[in-house]
Amino acid sequence: MGGIVEGRNVSGRRSLTPDFCVIGSGASGGVCALKLSEAGFDVLVLEEGPNIPKEQGHGGPAHLRKMLNEREGDMYRTLYQEGGSRLTKDGGIKVMQGRCLGGGTTVNWAACLPPRVETLEHWQKNFGLPFTRENLRPYLKEVANYLPVVRNDKYNTSAQKFIDGCGRLGIETDNLPNNTHDCRECGSCGVGCPYDRKMSGIVRWLPDAIARGATVYTDTKVNRLVAGDGGRVKEVEAVFLDPKTRPTKKTLTVRPKLGVLLAAGAIGSPAVMLRSGITLDKRVGKFTHIHPVTICIGRYKDRTFPAYGVPDNMWSPKFESGPTGYLMETGSYFPVLTAASTLDHGESLHKMLDQFYPQGAIMYAHHTTGFDPDQPYGTTALDRYGDPELDYKLAPDNVKAMRESLRVMSEIHLEAGAESVFHMRNPPLVVKSKADFKEIDLIKFGETQRAAVFTVHVMGGLQMGNDARRSCVNTDFRVKGMENLWVVDASVFPTGLGANPQVTIYSLALWASREICEKYGKPFALQHMDGGDWPWPKY
Amino acid sequence: MAQVLNALLGVFAWPKRVAPIDEGRLEYLDGKTAHILFAVGEAVLGENFLKEAPEFIYTVDGYMAFQRQANRDAFTQALLLAESPAFNLLNGGGLRGFSRMPIKDRQGVLTRLRASDRDLHRNLYAAFVNVSAATFYASPAAWARIKYDGVSLDHPEILNRPPPVPWRPNDTRPIEK
Repeated sequence: MGGIVEGRNVSGRRSLTPDFCVIGSGASGGVCALKLSEAGFDVLVLEEGPNIPKEQGHGGPAHLRKMLNEREGDMYRTLYQEGGSRLTKDGGIKVMQGRCLGGGTTVNWAACLPPRVETLEHWQKNFGLPFTRENLRPYLKEVANYLPVVRNDKYNTSAQKFIDGCGRLGIETDNLPNNTHDCRECGSCGVGCPYDRKMSGIVRWLPDAIARGATVYTDTKVNRLVAGDGGRVKEVEAVFLDPKTRPTKKTLTVRPKLGVLLAAGAIGSPAVMLRSGITLDKRVGKFTHIHPVTICIGRYKDRTFPAYGVPDNMWSPKFESGPTGYLMETGSYFPVLTAASTLDHGESLHKMLDQFYPQGAIMYAHHTTGFDPDQPYGTTALDRYGDPELDYKLAPDNVKAMRESLRVMSEIHLEAGAESVFHMRNPPLVVKSKADFKEIDLIKFGETQRAAVFTVHVMGGLQMGNDARRSCVNTDFRVKGMENLWVVDASVFPTGLGANPQVTIYSLALWASREICEKYGKPFALQHMDGGDWPWPKY
Repeated sequence: MAQVLNALLGVFAWPKRVAPIDEGRLEYLDGKTAHILFAVGEAVLGENFLKEAPEFIYTVDGYMAFQRQANRDAFTQALLLAESPAFNLLNGGGLRGFSRMPIKDRQGVLTRLRASDRDLHRNLYAAFVNVSAATFYASPAAWARIKYDGVSLDHPEILNRPPPVPWRPNDTRPIEK
């Protein structure tokens, strides 16, 4: 039986010698920890963020995680990278990434979609990747049954307005499956479910991995990998962090007997490589992709209680296809993030929030990127202190699509009965009819702080493939030129995925685990293949 | 380099000290930057904003621990730069420190920064308004302004909502019971 060790409480230096060291406890780290433990390996997981212990909370019997108090101010700084204020290098795009036990799975909105067939075909044709919908199907099925992925049809007001508006415009909508179970509809998925009703890594993968012997160290930041002879990582150097995420003088040295798996996410994993001097002829960190998000908020006649309900269980696949397609989804929204995106000041700031919060409904679109070989997209590099920094440029085609998605979503709002629609432009833009849409076409998304642009999906940076000029990772997930270093997270995506990536990351991590088990002659089995329904009948 | 620049900017920053700030509670801000931050907060949020967000200064200071060092440096620089008379002269504030201007003039500077063609100016604007607005609306006392009822932890009645709108009856996908 393994367990969780909180690095903040460790005294002195430690040294460990597991079979495998997994760096990161998010979507891919949790999966690999479980599958490698199941196979009989001694697995150590290192997580930079804090533990989220299961204990009786202060919200009554159902409240299980005391630390998750649902308050944005506390939770963003505790659970997100850079306290929730990670920005791209030019300050133009807000990058929301988890940094806690369970990583992104702890703070995501639970959306579960399979990878687009179009994306998989592009990866196969242009980068030589082996994945198809057919050969991924067993892994997708395992994920869908294990979590499980369900159709939760408790719709909040934003989703209902989306259904109404799309219905009037003839735009197809669909339930977006998710991994909630008996959801309490508090709306707090994005700041960690205190009720354990989201089947995240801290509820599913990690406890099962620990039950099979895995050990997880939280508050433990990996500084670098030390390479030995023959392309082998011989040591992992880490430092324990204090409760405010600052490095202490207490260190951890890991000497893995078999290997190291990078699962620190598409900014964190390249950063570990760069800090280790493993640059692969400067390919590491290149071609980092995001799904830039456009958002608009409609103001309706009655109060909408926009914070509550299942945040992300309605979407439209209407515009998802193509290299710059976008997924329209609905959500919940809270005071802090809304206030921090309004780009206004003085009385006007309060007035905007008063108008668009209590009677608001939110719609947003994730935009597919990364398909144009002539665009640089993003590069992760280290700043002067050795911390990662993403330099990202929006491609012109994406800017065009972002304006289009705002026009479409504005129209949906107006058809659903919104009196006006608020766009997070600088200065704020309010449209009241289609005649005002021309203003949307003038939003300069490509220039920093001309509008609030977000992303919650970061991919690439350690591209998988057979292109020697671009790729860093072989199709067996091993880093090129390295014998015992694997990358198992979304860093390996050659482009943006074009779908919420949680399920794809889980599935590819299962695939990677199988590769590793086979390499060492250990058993690997998908154990939840029987029964269950395919939650994506059209896909 | 960042420390040198901050020290240099600090030489010319002598903010007006009007807010009741306990400098002993600060870890990343100092007396000067805390008072400049107060002036920024007042310009973004209006007079008496501390009534609804009494911990504003200390919350921002505490938050800086979670930033990466480069961003901490940049935010400190931004505050000191805003207090520089030369900077304000170029941005419509006259030859005064930001904290020494009446609120209306400070808001005028913010408006100019917002509309500037220079990325740096717009980033300064975004840093000031985003940090101020986010910190203010993180305070439960500010929630009444926008009729936010708070989290389920404090309001368990949120968890007892009416039944959901039925989904399409012919959809055969697994449904949560």
